[in-house]
Amino acid sequence: MTPLSDAFLDRLASAAVREGLADAVYTTLSTPIGPLVLVQGSRGVLRIAFEGEPLDRTLARVATGVGPRIVQSDRELAATRDTLSRYLEGDDDRLDLPVDLSLVRGPFRRAVLETLHDEVHRGEVVTYGALARQAGNPRAVRAVGTACATNPIPIVVPCHRVLPASGRLGAYGGGPERKRVLLALEGVRTR
Amino acid sequence: MSAVALPPFWSLIERHGDELLAHARRMTDEQTAEDVLQDALLRALRAYPRLRHADHLRAWLYRVTTTTALDVHRTRRREVVTDEPPVPAVEAEYDDGAFESLIAPLAATARNALRLRFVEDLDYDRIAVELGTSPEAARQRVSTAVRTLRERVTT
Repeated sequence: MTPLSDAFLDRLASAAVREGLADAVYTTLSTPIGPLVLVQGSRGVLRIAFEGEPLDRTLARVATGVGPRIVQSDRELAATRDTLSRYLEGDDDRLDLPVDLSLVRGPFRRAVLETLHDEVHRGEVVTYGALARQAGNPRAVRAVGTACATNPIPIVVPCHRVLPASGRLGAYGGGPERKRVLLALEGVRTR
Repeated sequence: MSAVALPPFWSLIERHGDELLAHARRMTDEQTAEDVLQDALLRALRAYPRLRHADHLRAWLYRVTTTTALDVHRTRRREVVTDEPPVPAVEAEYDDGAFESLIAPLAATARNALRLRFVEDLDYDRIAVELGTSPEAARQRVSTAVRTLRERVTT
């Protein structure tokens, strides 16, 4: 049997987006920190997954969160792919991408990630404790850790800029080496 | 968001896309098959979140492709025979009634074979058991029924 051609699949995905039939679009791209899965909805980036997380599991969770009408298209996500690639290659300082935090569960986790996205800029770092204060609950340091550990949109929502009070690198969903690379990209040296 | 856990739509296309294209070719012709399948998959996408369960999704896609192919034939025929009343748009996407009315004119044995294949989603070994024939004869019966369905609308 002949497999469907790429041209056919491209046309189908674009028609689905044009007619408002896609809950989300996904693509994969290779970057200096490894292959990434990028999932975007109509309001912004929903999910970025590092290598190591199975694609079908990533997509199944997106389907549960925003709906099952998920299509694949490099073309529909060309602008976002380009922005993300240029940033990770070090060709551009800006990473101005709209985010959609629909996959974040719980109002406090959402507040933490919103604060992180809006207020902790490139080249800055923040401790878990400081971020808890900024998000409106100084005592919820552990909850800030959980919010970062379950961040669905790493890189764009910069949980790599959250460090332990010790000043060490600390934990990272994508592994400490990726955290180090992402920080080095913006001129932050870590121990 | 749907109440049932439906798999991401694209995974269905990756799994079944090639056989659906082959089916669209059988229902139409080489030139029209891709257009029919494109149209069918958009219809399927439109209906997808309203599905009440996640069973037999492959058979469901076959049904949507079948009805879409027949709609294309009807539309073309209408363009030639202008005094024929327009066929109301078939909400075939999530309603089995549309498939039933589509196969209603066929003989009972043909209807039965099509249902086992495209509603029950059985493989030919199982269909053979249901029909009391060999798997080869079961395959033959389904394929003849598909051809009859196609001839009814193309001629």
